[in-house]
Amino acid sequence: MKILVADDSRVMRQIVIRTLRQAGFGDHDVVEAPDGAAAHTVVQEENPDLVLSDWNMPNMSGIELLHALRAGGKQVPFAFVTSECSQDMKNLAEAGGALCVITKPFTADAFKEHLAPFLESA
Amino acid sequence: MSSEIPTVEQLDDIAEQVWAAFLDDGNPAVIGFAAGDERGDLAASVSVAGAWEGTLVVSCTDDASREVASALFAMPVSEVTPADIGDALGELANVLGGNVKSMLPSPSTLSLPEVFTTDDDSQVVEVCRTVVTWRERTFTVALLKSPRAVAQEEVAS
Repeated sequence: MKILVADDSRVMRQIVIRTLRQAGFGDHDVVEAPDGAAAHTVVQEENPDLVLSDWNMPNMSGIELLHALRAGGKQVPFAFVTSECSQDMKNLAEAGGALCVITKPFTADAFKEHLAPFLESA
Repeated sequence: MSSEIPTVEQLDDIAEQVWAAFLDDGNPAVIGFAAGDERGDLAASVSVAGAWEGTLVVSCTDDASREVASALFAMPVSEVTPADIGDALGELANVLGGNVKSMLPSPSTLSLPEVFTTDDDSQVVEVCRTVVTWRERTFTVALLKSPRAVAQEEVAS
């Protein structure tokens, strides 16, 4: 399977990838994008099986990315990984068709709990 | 989530969670107690705008910023670039700020992080602060209220 990790912070992309490995999902291919617009392009070109996206990003936020993908007919499973953990955000994410919102700071256990239904462990 | 201004205890809890999740490498952080009073050289901030206006700032020395970037990127301190430091400190501010924002009155938005060298800014009002000591380095996490909001409150009262 292929996982797209979209976050404007390079260090956070690395932490997300490290945590995927710690959660037992290290065998999947990972592609990265530094903002929402780049992530949108990567989805068209690479057809990932799962998108893990930050919320606040330049050049198209995470929620705008989700809306754009769905409007373009892309139904790829989509989860937010964000420090924004208000109920308003969760409602917006759910209404947009996101699987879940994983809150930063997260642990490998949180990744397991949220992503195991969609990813096979190594 | 309640929409009350975070207390020092809540800021302590948030800082503790962030350091425990991302920076626990066998050197657990001590929260709310400063071993030394090191002045920060570098700071990263995220701003909250909307129903509540202010800024969350993380500041530390150059050495501490290099150390924290090396831990987050899992690379030797000697290989850390200024871009790595900016990215790492900015993301720390982003994660702390996002968690604090959830306790503030809504609706509000969170800016992207900014990284800058610190100078004395006496125009702001500090709401609460905590100090994280990690690997004998200190990191100050402060929530500041914007001068504009403070001025408006003074006019209103």
